[in-house]
Amino acid sequence: MSVLLLAEHEQGQLKAATRNAVTAAKAIGGDLHVLVVGSGVAAVADAASKIDGVAKVLVADSALYAHPLAEPLSALIVSLAGGYSHILAPATSTAKNALPRVAALLDVAMLSEITGVVSPHRFVRPIYAGNALATVESADSVQVVTVRPTAFDAAGDGAAAAPVEAVAAVADPALSRFVSADLSKSERPELTAARIVVAGGRGMQSGENFHLLEAIADTLGAAVGASRAAVDAGFVPNDYQVGQTGKIVAPDLYIAVGISGAIQHLAGMKDSKIIVAINKDEEAPIFQVADYGLVADLFKALPELSAEL
Amino acid sequence: MKILCAVKRVVDYNVKIRVKTDQTGVETANVKFSMNPFDEIAVEEAVRLKESGAATEIVVVAVGPTAAQETLRTALAMGADRAILVQTDLETQPLGVAKALKAIVAKEAPGLVIVGKQAIDDDCNQTGQMLAALLGWGQGAFASKIAAANGELTVTREVDGGMETIALPLPAVVTADLRLNEPRYATLPNIMKAKKKPLEIVAPDALGVDLTPRLTVLKVEEPPTRSAGVKVPDVATLVAKLKNEAKVIP
Amino acid sequence: MTAYVPPLKEIRFVLDHLAGMADVAALPGFEDASADMVDSILGEAAKIAENTLAPLNEIGDRQGAKLDAAGVARTADGWGAAWQTLVEGGWNSLPFDPEQGGMGLPNLLNTAVQEMWQSANMAFALCPMLTQGAVNAMQLYADDALKAIYLPKMISGEWTGTMNITEPQAGSDLAATRSRAVPNGDHYLVSGQKIFITYGDHDLTENIVHLVLARLPDAPAGVKGISLFVVPKFLVNADGSIGARNQVNCVSLEHKLGIHGSPTAVLSFGDEGGAVGWLVGQPNRGLEYMFTMMNHARLNVAMQGLAIAERAYQQALSYARDRVQGKPLGWTGNAPFAIVHHPDVRRLLMGMKARIEAMRGILYTAAAAVDVAHNHADEAERKRAGLLVDLLTPIAKGWCTETGQLLASDGVQVHGGMGFIEETGAAQHYRDARITTIYEGTTAIQANDLVNRKILRDGGAGARALLADIAALGRELADGADDSLRVTGLALLDSTVHAGDAVEWLLTAGADDVRVPAAASVTLLELLGLVVGGWQLARAGRVAVAKLAEGDPDTAFLSAKPLTARFFADHFLPRVAALRTTVVAGSGSVMALSDEQLFAA
Repeated sequence: MSVLLLAEHEQGQLKAATRNAVTAAKAIGGDLHVLVVGSGVAAVADAASKIDGVAKVLVADSALYAHPLAEPLSALIVSLAGGYSHILAPATSTAKNALPRVAALLDVAMLSEITGVVSPHRFVRPIYAGNALATVESADSVQVVTVRPTAFDAAGDGAAAAPVEAVAAVADPALSRFVSADLSKSERPELTAARIVVAGGRGMQSGENFHLLEAIADTLGAAVGASRAAVDAGFVPNDYQVGQTGKIVAPDLYIAVGISGAIQHLAGMKDSKIIVAINKDEEAPIFQVADYGLVADLFKALPELSAEL
Repeated sequence: MKILCAVKRVVDYNVKIRVKTDQTGVETANVKFSMNPFDEIAVEEAVRLKESGAATEIVVVAVGPTAAQETLRTALAMGADRAILVQTDLETQPLGVAKALKAIVAKEAPGLVIVGKQAIDDDCNQTGQMLAALLGWGQGAFASKIAAANGELTVTREVDGGMETIALPLPAVVTADLRLNEPRYATLPNIMKAKKKPLEIVAPDALGVDLTPRLTVLKVEEPPTRSAGVKVPDVATLVAKLKNEAKVIP
Repeated sequence: MTAYVPPLKEIRFVLDHLAGMADVAALPGFEDASADMVDSILGEAAKIAENTLAPLNEIGDRQGAKLDAAGVARTADGWGAAWQTLVEGGWNSLPFDPEQGGMGLPNLLNTAVQEMWQSANMAFALCPMLTQGAVNAMQLYADDALKAIYLPKMISGEWTGTMNITEPQAGSDLAATRSRAVPNGDHYLVSGQKIFITYGDHDLTENIVHLVLARLPDAPAGVKGISLFVVPKFLVNADGSIGARNQVNCVSLEHKLGIHGSPTAVLSFGDEGGAVGWLVGQPNRGLEYMFTMMNHARLNVAMQGLAIAERAYQQALSYARDRVQGKPLGWTGNAPFAIVHHPDVRRLLMGMKARIEAMRGILYTAAAAVDVAHNHADEAERKRAGLLVDLLTPIAKGWCTETGQLLASDGVQVHGGMGFIEETGAAQHYRDARITTIYEGTTAIQANDLVNRKILRDGGAGARALLADIAALGRELADGADDSLRVTGLALLDSTVHAGDAVEWLLTAGADDVRVPAAASVTLLELLGLVVGGWQLARAGRVAVAKLAEGDPDTAFLSAKPLTARFFADHFLPRVAALRTTVVAGSGSVMALSDEQLFAA
């Protein structure tokens, strides 16, 4: 048994979600090889090689992979798939885009966003927006799996670095072309990896008012998130969205401000360790999942909170 | 250009799911079903492309039980021209559905396939990508904007860090994300006309497709529930509790 | 503010099993109303009600309709777009003749769609309701030239219709109508003032078609001298385009207790000589024509009683499930103690649920009878159904609206103090419900209609026949196997005996004092409302028990039906005996005090 795990990285940095996926891979067992795909990713490979439990790092470093388009990425993975019993990746937008393609090319089923490993062929995954958990078994020879990062602890670094081995790029299927990216730039930690998340909802009333949250986030070293209602209202960009169709987060502390707590939002944050809700509507459903609830006008409470911290 | 859309009949998004006591699945008897919301967005996008003159015909496909005809009629009422039901009582899984769609694509030769990015029941988020792979086509997954020009599409995709725009030569597969559009209501005349639009029922065997599930669901459980904690009277108490009780801030 | 979720399963049950949707669909002209088509239509209408109309209900209440500087009534934010959704969707045209751009679907189906509109947003739904009523009157009485100009756009909803009846001195008594119409070439010049004109002016459409009651110069006095005129807000050019502004001015909008979103206009006609209008049908028959519109409107206002009660109930039920307060007596479960577990909250909710289901049974049964009366191939069947509609209309209007406001009040009560606070929304339903017992004929007007036209005129034959049908069902259930239905059947049977006594008393009651039947009329209407409500719940219970016996898996929904009927039998049918006593023994005492005695303190 052996596992090939696709590393997630951004701007030359290994992303933490990779470490969570490594923990899932270790629960499956067998040799663990990490695949780093990109352009100028030596540092990423280096970081990956140090993670505890990694036996080998494969690096496909090529201008072809500067932007992780699904077609060339899946072609590469398929070319390396022989001999692996499992192909894993953290459930990022890159892997969600490419891995179903890999599975189809290998003619095997795929398991999306697992939250538990029961055995090498048996996994737990949420269905119905997390309102039910299914234990699923695959009969296929190769298991193609994405891992929900929040469900697994991050693997730390081991005693020794694993060997790093270059692999060749495969021919570009040339089925799509990268045009441009419009990525949010932020000094703050990334939403899915942050230890603390401060999120705002429709109650924030405008995009400008999010600076009240940002001030607190900066004090706490937290990421800033938002509900779908706030994103749909145009207060903040889509990548802020926490919820069923946005990002799934599970920080140590989640502070929900002016968020009513629609089911689809709760699906994205209810695994947080501590949830704080600040809302002026005492009946808001968010209070039903909050460890600490404060019924207050957020425009009064946030400056106070800022001062108190 | 012909557009093919795939739609799935799922438990309505408003229904509060209940897990069966024998843990074999969720309760679906006497529960309202409707079209998967992401598929509704896909159909709406196809109709808009047709209205803008970029498409000439919309064929909508469902792989599922007889009752999925109702879902297809809904798509026809929204503006699709023809419907095909690949009829099966088996639990449908993405790989099988992608194979069935591939067989339909072989017959229909569409220039573009648009499907929802995921079904809200199994939350797989796989079918569109799998279909693109099986066809050897390019894919634009999680689309929030589509523009057609010069035989290719410009697709803006929702990705973790923000937005990414790609160029996608046709034919290709696009999967619809939430903000691609807001689906219209079907009009009464179109609901009535939908009844008279062609709906073809085909057996998976006739397509040479095996829909037998590859994944076996062994157990379905309720997720652990979270209970409400305490209400705090003011900000000072909140901060004190976070520091001393929960110990999540220094 | 709780969302409104259309009760599609319940609506479908009542359509299929109480109103006989399949039989209606089998009538000539309704070939399109197949079962799956009905599902599709109800499903889409439900989406519009839930997602578009319901969210505008509170906005309309808060903002209200306002008259701008140019004298145009402006509706609340989002209302114009919502109206366009109905027009573009063809929803207004649902029950009309395909020859004129309608969809040719049954009134019964339209009734179910209208229920959803009314529950979602009653102040808004008045507009399509009145427009449909105006179309009905035009279809029957206007000449072909008028129809050609106005009907297609009124059917589509591009233009709306109004009903201009009331004047400051002519309310329930239309003999006092003063508005005048003077012949002037091919048209008439109409002048006068009309008040309480619902959607008398608004910004939803480019034109408004007013149907106006006015007197011709040589008209006889009283109600036999009133004619009906079409007076558009804008004249229509020969090519169908909008022409000159007519002399119809919105003088002011009323400040009302409820339905703030609905502009209630004071209209002034012919300020500078006369508004251009055209006679509908024959001279001096306007009131008769207006009653066509009125009868349509009465069943629809009855529907408002049901619809607002349904909305109030959904809100109360949701609040009762969430609100944690006090530990219920005998409570053995763990926290939280939601108030829905308190027996008296249950009593309130059951009282709402049972009467809502009773109202829906009555109204859908009446709506189906309207279809039979219009479309059945056999004249005897048409006549039989028409008589049932005639008898049920005043009972439905009177009982469903009186009950609707009681239930909206109960909805507030379930909320406790929060119900009195506007933010929860329960208070709006209570305020909105209040108008329903007043417009389109007060409860007293309905009761007079019931007593004089529907009972005394045929010597009680129609009422006796209906009570006999109900008694037969009571007897059948009393002998049946289901415990709840046995109790219900006995109570129903008993109530028909008391109702029969009251009807027989009425037939001779006016002999000595003509005022006595009028004094008894509203009590008798309430009595008959309870009996026909119990009848519908018993019918529903019987169907549900039969379906369960056939193995229908929807056990929670179906098994609640006989128990709900039993609740009504226990809590409401016993009131019939008391009301009978009031009618028979107490009607004389209504007028017992002389004016001097009444005003003495």
